[in-house]
Amino acid sequence: MLNFTEETISVAGGNLQVYKGGSGDPLLVLHGAGGNAGPRRYAQALAEQFTVYLPSHPGYGKSDRPGWVESMQDLACFYTWFQEQEGLENVRAIGFSMGGWLAAEMLSMTGHAFSKVMLVGAAGIKPNDGEITDIFIISPAQVRDLVYHDPSQVPEWDELLGTDPTPEQVQQAEGDREMAIRLTWRPYMHNPRLPAKLGRVSVPTHILWGENDNLVPVECAGLYQQAIAGSQVTVIPNCGHSPQIEKPDDFVQAALAFL
Amino acid sequence: MDVFYFTEMPYAEFPESEAEKFPSMRLTFPNTYFDPKTASGLMNRYLDEYQYAEEMGFDGLMINEHHNTPSCMDVEVNITGGILARITNRAKILMLGNMLPTSDNPVRLAEEIALLDVISGGRIISGFVRGIGIESWANNTNPIHNRERFEECHDLVVKTWTTPGPFRWEGNHYHYRAVNPWMLPVQKPHPPVWVPGTGSPETVEWTARHRYTYAAFLTPLEVAKNLFARYREYAAADGWEPGPEKFAFMICAHVNDTDEKAQESGKAFLWRMNYPLRGPREYWSPPGYTSRAGAAAVAARRPTPLHEMTYRELQDRYHLVVGSPETVIRKLRHIRDELGVGSLLLEAQGGQLSHSDTMRSIELFGKEVIPALKD
Repeated sequence: MLNFTEETISVAGGNLQVYKGGSGDPLLVLHGAGGNAGPRRYAQALAEQFTVYLPSHPGYGKSDRPGWVESMQDLACFYTWFQEQEGLENVRAIGFSMGGWLAAEMLSMTGHAFSKVMLVGAAGIKPNDGEITDIFIISPAQVRDLVYHDPSQVPEWDELLGTDPTPEQVQQAEGDREMAIRLTWRPYMHNPRLPAKLGRVSVPTHILWGENDNLVPVECAGLYQQAIAGSQVTVIPNCGHSPQIEKPDDFVQAALAFL
Repeated sequence: MDVFYFTEMPYAEFPESEAEKFPSMRLTFPNTYFDPKTASGLMNRYLDEYQYAEEMGFDGLMINEHHNTPSCMDVEVNITGGILARITNRAKILMLGNMLPTSDNPVRLAEEIALLDVISGGRIISGFVRGIGIESWANNTNPIHNRERFEECHDLVVKTWTTPGPFRWEGNHYHYRAVNPWMLPVQKPHPPVWVPGTGSPETVEWTARHRYTYAAFLTPLEVAKNLFARYREYAAADGWEPGPEKFAFMICAHVNDTDEKAQESGKAFLWRMNYPLRGPREYWSPPGYTSRAGAAAVAARRPTPLHEMTYRELQDRYHLVVGSPETVIRKLRHIRDELGVGSLLLEAQGGQLSHSDTMRSIELFGKEVIPALKD
């Protein structure tokens, strides 16, 4: 078990909470709309090869929200600012769900954000056939039920979801949900102009999806692949929206092979 | 004391238990249950009842607006307000109100209200509301911006009414090159503004700061008292003392010839207290819609939700006043004296209350109840 430290970095007029651990080349990990669950098992495994940076997005966790961060494009601007300041440009990155959308927005803005990038169950592109599940109109418990294809195969279930949340955790989750709704309300969880803008991307991109994703339809993997020239897709069978949590070993294997 | 007549113009013409099949009777309850021909009859009936309410002596007519719900067919107060402006000639027309946060065009809104004031000869009371959470969904307006859009939309509407055009507006949510509508209100500096509330401390403070009338909606008397007391504190801190005209209270009220008859016919109001008030928390209060302080206040406002109260409890707690003229006079006087309000907003048609029971109730209010509340 590698130790992660929790740091506070002042960026763009606000404090950013960052978990950092491991050694080796930097790897930036961007969490999804549900918030930063901290360095879970998958992050520990990746930290054996890389120095993992796992920030809480502005407005999430203990991170401040600079008042100008109102949209996903603002958030992407914030992170390119963070990268420049911290010397973390041209690094490897993984974006989960809404964090995958964030990584894609960054890719569409600059050619030197990432050296290699993995998009996992990424929001950001409107599916043709299905719909991205509206996570705001249902309860957090209903969202949780949709995230996992088979809860019994989630190795960290007890640690992550086994106990009732404390009042502080409830408040935190509420705050995280408010930040998500601020960023992604309309158009919901996608940017109609994103696929066209991804035409500029030339860095190696790996698109990874759980076959049974109930939140962002797996067809979006193909749409990302069409938008990003030379990208490759892996679909993990019997797995829901968060392969890194539901099948961490399969996820880490795929991640290390690519990164 | 001004007494207003109000109905939400409900559509109760289907088995209410159908609502059990869906998360709520609002927002996602399928509109396949809607029959336009039935609605046509109902809407015209409700407008006739408003006309009769004026004729019988109500001081004002109140209308409101909701979306995606059979509990309220009025989807645009500026349309029904326009009809009332033309088919009545004396009563105040209280629109409570226009939903500011979901409006994408405050200048158009200012024009519409001004037009109503012109047609009605200056009888418009312009209510401004945040809209319940469901309206954020129905209009797809980000709930996180609800309060800031409310405030900016208000500022722009009032400026449009009071500042000679043309002027430019470059705000956070609204942007205009040439605000200069030809149509302006009759009432100067502008029509009175009222704001409803059910508990949000921010709303009370904002309303007091602007010296507008605050209307407590279906709250327990104790809660209304506390909200009004907070208003008075803010006003005192600001160096002025609000009169009764700054306070209004909305409840359901039904009168019939005797207590027995009224208790029977008044049961029709249970429809509006039941399924239309149920639904998932996310429908009523999407993330970001309510501040943490507001959420705490709303949680405290009613010990029991209205839809969990019996007919008796609704009456005991003054959410619904039912009885003979004598009983209703006694109860409404009690509310008036307890709260010190200048206006009572009576939802006198509610739920499944029939046309004949509504007309009889309006008649008794006009002939017996309202005169007795004026002393």
